[in-house]
Amino acid sequence: MNTDRPQPDISPEIMEVASAWAVRTSGADFTDWDGFMDWLDASPEHLPAYDAVLARVDGAAEVLASAPVADAPSREWTTDNIVELPAPRRRWWPAAAAIAASVAAVVGIGVFDRSSGPELIATAAGEQRVVELADGSRIIMNGATSLTIDSDRPRHVELAHGEALFEVRHDEANPFVVVADGTRLLDAGTVFNVVADQGSLDVAVAEGAVIYRPGQDAVRLNPGDGLSRANADAAPVLRKTSPEGIGTWQSGQLHYDGATLDQVARDLARNIGRPVTLRGTSASARFTGTLALEGEPDQVFARIGPLLGVTFTPSGEGWIMSPPDGPPR
Amino acid sequence: MSEEEGISGLQRVLLNERPRLLRFIAARGEGDNAEDVLHDLWQRLADAPSAPIADATSYLFRAAENLIRDRRRSSLSRMRRQKDWHDVSVSDHDSPVGERGLIAREQLRAVERTLAELGPRADMVFRRYRLEGIGQSAIARELGISLSSVEKDLQKAYRALANLKTEFDAD
Repeated sequence: MNTDRPQPDISPEIMEVASAWAVRTSGADFTDWDGFMDWLDASPEHLPAYDAVLARVDGAAEVLASAPVADAPSREWTTDNIVELPAPRRRWWPAAAAIAASVAAVVGIGVFDRSSGPELIATAAGEQRVVELADGSRIIMNGATSLTIDSDRPRHVELAHGEALFEVRHDEANPFVVVADGTRLLDAGTVFNVVADQGSLDVAVAEGAVIYRPGQDAVRLNPGDGLSRANADAAPVLRKTSPEGIGTWQSGQLHYDGATLDQVARDLARNIGRPVTLRGTSASARFTGTLALEGEPDQVFARIGPLLGVTFTPSGEGWIMSPPDGPPR
Repeated sequence: MSEEEGISGLQRVLLNERPRLLRFIAARGEGDNAEDVLHDLWQRLADAPSAPIADATSYLFRAAENLIRDRRRSSLSRMRRQKDWHDVSVSDHDSPVGERGLIAREQLRAVERTLAELGPRADMVFRRYRLEGIGQSAIARELGISLSSVEKDLQKAYRALANLKTEFDAD
């Protein structure tokens, strides 16, 4: 029997062909099994190469699948940070869901049974609200968010500031438009999240697609695409994101992939409902991982501090986020 | 397995394709276990739901390929388990758990870096395909790209990950 162990000395050319076969034979519509057998039989090196590709890709996929929830490439972590992950966030979520559901009923019916023109809807920090639109689309508003809906233009929403997850009922003939802090976003069949904060903008697409600034400098965002812009004049920067992670703030989880601590601080403030001030931390520090917001604010901050590599210190109404080795006073 | 009553259409195809399947199993390096593999395949076909299948022969080969992959996987993980046990039992004086956590993290970084270097689309295609189990054609539809683009992205990812040898061979 050939070895199961990957052979380190197979030539790159053979590995390349073996990789191509490994992908092709995995496809549901692959039919060239005779061609595959001929290739396997053509050289004694082919089978070990093919098995090595499969084994290594399996290994890599396993490593990715078992990735700890929190992982920060730019920081030095102790193993403890990885092992002591935030507990599952059970207690928090049903309450939030119940509140969101009850609000949805009130807002959904209350707003759209009358034709009242533009209406401003705002949430306080730490509060979530679901707005159901007449066409079946839904807007889930995070805390400290304000937006305007207009019963005369039901598929046009202005997000003044804050964060909202849009679950849009797609209509080719009548596209859904979100104007986020003055920037037009055109839906193309979609679940997407938008954060607008003093000129900065962040859009992440979970399903379907969104056109950022339809027109000459349009950018199409597909599932898993994210776009962020530091301020109203900055060029948009594209990134990839995990579609499952989008909008999970609804259930008290914040997912990050290379986020700045500044962004994390703003999200925490919006979700927890207390001001979070960043002080003395490096602007280049990045965080990748998941923060669970279950529990009281002091418990949450105590738990996520080590994950972020920062110390949270209470200060008046809010909290100060600072490097672990010296909270400034 | 020659009983004609109650055998499925696919099992009939298997009987018919037996010589080619044997050649395939041998080419896949399982010649010594050919009868075992055929028996497992027979069982799987008996359990398979009787949905219409467009190309029964290709289906059969794919089932055989998947079976052989599963066998390889389980023998590989048995070897790994034995080795892990050995490693732990010989070096338990210097914190094997912490050390393995460290290695796991380095491996994760290496895999993520390798995928990131391929560009966001190939990275995403690979994750959708391997971690979420979404089919190649579904990914193509979702991203609005051709099936062959998905295949090329996957090939790029497979090649790059296959060249990431040291991390996974070492432990």
